[in-house]
Amino acid sequence: METKKTVLSFAAAGTVAGVAGLVLLASPAGAGEAPPELPAISPDDLVESVLNTEIPALSGSVALENNLGLPLPGMPGSTDGAEIRVFTDGEGKHRVQLPDSGTETTVIDDGKTVWVWNSSERSVTKVPHGADGKAHEKPLESRFADPATAARELVDAMQKDSEVDVDGTARVADRPVYQLVLTPKPTERTLLREVRVSVDSETRVPLQVEVLANGQAEPAVKAGFTEFADGPQDASLFQFTPPEGATVTEQDPNEEFRGQAPKDLFGDLDLNTYGEGWDTVLTATIPNDMLTMPFDEARPGGDRGDRGDRGERGGFANGSDNPLELLGTLGKQVSGDFGTGYVISANVGTALITEDGKVAIGAVPEQVVIEAAEQMK
Amino acid sequence: MTTVPTAAMSDVRTTTRATAPLGRVLRSELRFILRRPRTLVALAALAFTPVIAGISVAIAAGSMSGGRRDDIAGIAMLVADNGLILPIFVLLLAMPMMLPLCGAMWSADALAGEASTGGLRNLLLAPVSRPRLLAVKAFGVAAVSLLAVTIMAVTAILAGIVLLGGEGMLTLSGSTMSVPASLGRIALLTLLVTIQVWAVAAIALAISSTTDHPLIVLAATTGGIVLFTVLGGIDTLSWLHPVLLTDGWLDMADVVRDPLPADGLVENAFRATCYILIGYSLALARLTTRDG
Amino acid sequence: MSKDIAQPDSSTMLDDFPPRTDTSADPVAARTRGLRKVYGKTVAVDHVDLDVPVGAVLGMLGPNGSGKTTTIRMLLGLVTPTAGSVELLGHLMPGGANWALPEVGALVEGPGFHPFLSGRENLFRCAAAEPRMVTSDIPRAVNDALERVGLASAAGRRYRGYSLGMKQRLGLAAALLLPRRLVVLDEPTNGLDPAGTREVRAVIADLHAAGTTVLVSSHLLAEVEATCTHVAVMHRGSLVAQGELRELLEAGNAGLLVSTPDVPVAVDALRDNRMPARATPDGVHVDLTTTTAPEVVATLVRSGVAVHEVRRQRTGLEDLFARLTEAENTTARLSDVAEPQPSTEDPT
Repeated sequence: METKKTVLSFAAAGTVAGVAGLVLLASPAGAGEAPPELPAISPDDLVESVLNTEIPALSGSVALENNLGLPLPGMPGSTDGAEIRVFTDGEGKHRVQLPDSGTETTVIDDGKTVWVWNSSERSVTKVPHGADGKAHEKPLESRFADPATAARELVDAMQKDSEVDVDGTARVADRPVYQLVLTPKPTERTLLREVRVSVDSETRVPLQVEVLANGQAEPAVKAGFTEFADGPQDASLFQFTPPEGATVTEQDPNEEFRGQAPKDLFGDLDLNTYGEGWDTVLTATIPNDMLTMPFDEARPGGDRGDRGDRGERGGFANGSDNPLELLGTLGKQVSGDFGTGYVISANVGTALITEDGKVAIGAVPEQVVIEAAEQMK
Repeated sequence: MTTVPTAAMSDVRTTTRATAPLGRVLRSELRFILRRPRTLVALAALAFTPVIAGISVAIAAGSMSGGRRDDIAGIAMLVADNGLILPIFVLLLAMPMMLPLCGAMWSADALAGEASTGGLRNLLLAPVSRPRLLAVKAFGVAAVSLLAVTIMAVTAILAGIVLLGGEGMLTLSGSTMSVPASLGRIALLTLLVTIQVWAVAAIALAISSTTDHPLIVLAATTGGIVLFTVLGGIDTLSWLHPVLLTDGWLDMADVVRDPLPADGLVENAFRATCYILIGYSLALARLTTRDG
Repeated sequence: MSKDIAQPDSSTMLDDFPPRTDTSADPVAARTRGLRKVYGKTVAVDHVDLDVPVGAVLGMLGPNGSGKTTTIRMLLGLVTPTAGSVELLGHLMPGGANWALPEVGALVEGPGFHPFLSGRENLFRCAAAEPRMVTSDIPRAVNDALERVGLASAAGRRYRGYSLGMKQRLGLAAALLLPRRLVVLDEPTNGLDPAGTREVRAVIADLHAAGTTVLVSSHLLAEVEATCTHVAVMHRGSLVAQGELRELLEAGNAGLLVSTPDVPVAVDALRDNRMPARATPDGVHVDLTTTTAPEVVATLVRSGVAVHEVRRQRTGLEDLFARLTEAENTTARLSDVAEPQPSTEDPT
């Protein structure tokens, strides 16, 4: 029967279209696309333009990927689809929104004051700019939400100790980019293979940074725009009035501002660096009692909306009662001039934590962190 | 009967149409759905949910702590003294199970239920052609789903204003929206939730076309939603997640972020549309080949 | 019945049909050829060549499970045949359903109504879907149909509370919402009390008088005998006989009833002469298929049997029905032995 056949072919076409739509949703964007054709550029010129470009007014979404197996200070464990939304007017005003399931942390720098809104607590933290008219320090959350600045700082810091090359073109956030690759000079003692920066061909804003370790196909850390649009932004985005009923606390701009970042591990640390370039080691001192304090108390903001204290990736919640006990199960015991401690090795880095609270961590082999620990007071 | 004059039928006029006027058939279908007692019970329950939610929040206001850290709890933190967000809270509360079940129930009644009473045969004999029958049924289910979500939103707006008060709507991003803008966001979420319910109902209608037992449809749909939710919670299956209908349901909390992040919402609606297309296509194929 | 009722135009209807090749000269309202339906491994209907003449009241007779309902469902396009063709009011089914069915009223497999609606609301729903129904006439058509089946007083009650008979009448009402060219009633008297049965018969008689073709199925012979002009007998999925009721009755009359005081002697005498005879409460019954009445009388007289009376027996349709189905049963059983699945054999 003709009509029946027609109806059935309609039904078949509809089913195929629906399934095709779902497949489209599941396929990564831009997969299999040919790299864009761009005029050739020398590595030095590209570095030059990256370092000298003013970051323009823009809006975008930033996705973070942390495959370190450890939480990074201030970096949300994983954004898993929920992307960080960033806005800037190019003149120092910023808006960063960190959405989480059903909650949001919004950081707005209106040029005079930094406001941090936390929806899960209905709280506002207000930090006026210092006397010099500058925000004293950006809240930790928003640092990683700015791949452009992060990339600039990284390129600036690393170029001296790196071979710099341009490795063709690609697409990031649907924009043609140059791939700037920094590889460590042979003298550098590091576990990292390269740092790859994707630079927007038009605005020369770095759109994505990837840190790749030796022997790893996937980047250990990746921060980049998934959406990027330059152009003037609505001024109202950079204004904030604390809503009625919200708890407002004001912080002294001269105190180091830590926003809502996890305080248990990265809060009251005496941060220093040792060495430079690829083999930089970050050193810190943890207050003594923190290592033996039970986990529950170690987290003053236990029910806060922050992510770093969830310990999903850090492995905090494996049944150990205090950090020291946990270290014993995770790390290898070592001793030396610095005392006794534990070395935790990952593909991309090594950490040394001593029993008296010294911490040295870097993207380097074990020997380098031990050297760093020995230098500590 | 024999006492009735046989001419009783004689002055009924007839036309030569091959199909009944569509509007008449659709009206008749709607009237039929809305006369069904369990439809009315479901609608009443949906209308009542916001009131209960509003009262609980009004009582619990302030004493809520972030014990649960999920989307619903996140919005719940904002509900106190912020009445216009109650519709958002309530719609997201009903999204994972309550509304999909209602959609599935209406789909179950539409084909399987009608087939079990023999009513479907009456329609086929009238005749209503099979593609048209599906269109009429799909329309009925879609209309009553929209009605259900709208009723929920409207009672939630009223309950929110009366019980919780507040001027405008405090968003997740900390800004306060004007009343018209808030109503716009509520209307948007109503539409988006309705599309998701339509998607569930379309799949349920496809199942409904294969059986005479409405309960099988309900059980299969519930099972599917639970399965999808479980799969959606397994991180190693993240490549599969974009395909799962349930995946973006709670992300619809995005409607109370400022500025509105459209991408996720559009993707959600697109995913639902794919399911609608698949559901209705399969239902059409099955209904066309099925014995009446 | 009033002549305002839309009557089928039999001449145009004839034109709608392809050239006829069979022997019947009458126009038909419905016709099947080589109809066959298989469900899995079960053959429900096979080789059914049914003709429903225009204006006839055709009784489809057969025991439960004989394939009547399946045949009717294929006739109405509810079921797609496995093989064979169906013409309904000149349209090939099931493709022509949209053109044929508006002029067909049908009650198949019991009434299909919704328990939570009243009888009237159920009919409104049916009426809304009727293509030929004029929207403004729906209330009147519904009320007329309700009165016609005697449900006017119960129309406002929920269908849930209806008795079996009332449900059946409501189904009949739905089939009678509009003037039809063909009315198909599947077991219409199911669940009806004797009064209800008489009323259904009256409705069928009215329809017949108005020129409507009626196809009525029943497993009750008296039903068919009382209402039908034509009959088709089904058994085990096959059509075993069809034709005018009168003709079939004649065909079944080949019997003599002999009144005699010496029943055993008479039976023996006839059997000795190879005449099929059996004792009945009324006397001796002799089948005339292999012999003639004069030979029977001559044989009895020769044998010295006292004969009070000899008369031709007017069998009822029941006898015919029993005979046809018994014959079918016998042959079917025989072929069951010879061939496990006789009905699945290919017609070629």
